[in-house]
Amino acid sequence: MNDEQKSWRLGGHEFSSRLILGTGKFSDAATMIKAIEASGTELVTVALRRFNREKPGDDLCAPLAKLKNIRLMPNTSGAMNAKEAVRAAQLGRELSGSPFVKVEIHPNPHHLMPDAIETYLAAKELAADGFIVLPYIPADPVLAKKLEDAGCAAVMPLGSAIGSGGGLSTADMIRLIIRDSNIPVIVDAGLRAPSEAARAMEMGCAAVLVNSAIAAAGDPVAMARAFALGVETGYAARQAGLMPKSDMAVTTSPLTSFLR
Amino acid sequence: MFLTVNGEKHEHSGDGTVAALLTELGATPDHTALTVNGELVFSRHWKTFKFNDGDTVEILTFVGGG
Repeated sequence: MNDEQKSWRLGGHEFSSRLILGTGKFSDAATMIKAIEASGTELVTVALRRFNREKPGDDLCAPLAKLKNIRLMPNTSGAMNAKEAVRAAQLGRELSGSPFVKVEIHPNPHHLMPDAIETYLAAKELAADGFIVLPYIPADPVLAKKLEDAGCAAVMPLGSAIGSGGGLSTADMIRLIIRDSNIPVIVDAGLRAPSEAARAMEMGCAAVLVNSAIAAAGDPVAMARAFALGVETGYAARQAGLMPKSDMAVTTSPLTSFLR
Repeated sequence: MFLTVNGEKHEHSGDGTVAALLTELGATPDHTALTVNGELVFSRHWKTFKFNDGDTVEILTFVGGG
């Protein structure tokens, strides 16, 4: 397979890596940078927060600026409704110069489930304003289709709750989203193991977004590499075409002409 | 002049420009986005912008996030 076949497009921009990385929860910036490099990612998410003069080390701009060939995708985390998300997106674009935005609106801190209605309203407004919009959504095929019609560049259904490591608990719904979608489907949130990333890719996802599984791993840099391999494996398997499933055994050796 | 910066009262002793406030707070301009009284102030307007006494200022930067 050549590189051209492996690459994919998101809002008119071409990417070769199908792994998107979150930058939260890393123990320090140096580990985060090494994990980003080990993952081969070309797109990383960042969050917008108040400047804290007591903690200048929290500022990610300086370490991220050293990376080459990495695009930033500011998220709207912290927004409780569409209006706040739109403002966060505008601030993120002003600061990053990047047209990519991950719209995430999850008002309940206990489960962090996305607010489908506010997310839809924000995504529609931001898409009309020229953003490349990637909404983080519940794994709902109807909502996914409406977001595609609203001009989103991709949809990002959750595998399970943010940071939970619950894996691909929504696999059946994600399959339905992929079947009807004309835009990339990216599993975002809940993945724990590279095998789950491989499975998402085998199902037909265009990419996966991983943060906690790498940042909270025993060795985040090694896990970043492992996820890159998982994504690559799953994508290669999808391209190769998985064999059909059967409820019955199907012989691999001939059952006739056995030595008697 | 007195400003509310990121939710806290702040006495600004500079000339009321964005550059003066950011220097006072130790913030790096390139790493900073700004809202004043809820409105985004684009960095291309920072040179001419002046704070007024009582303004509510939010200074934002990127941190880790998923």
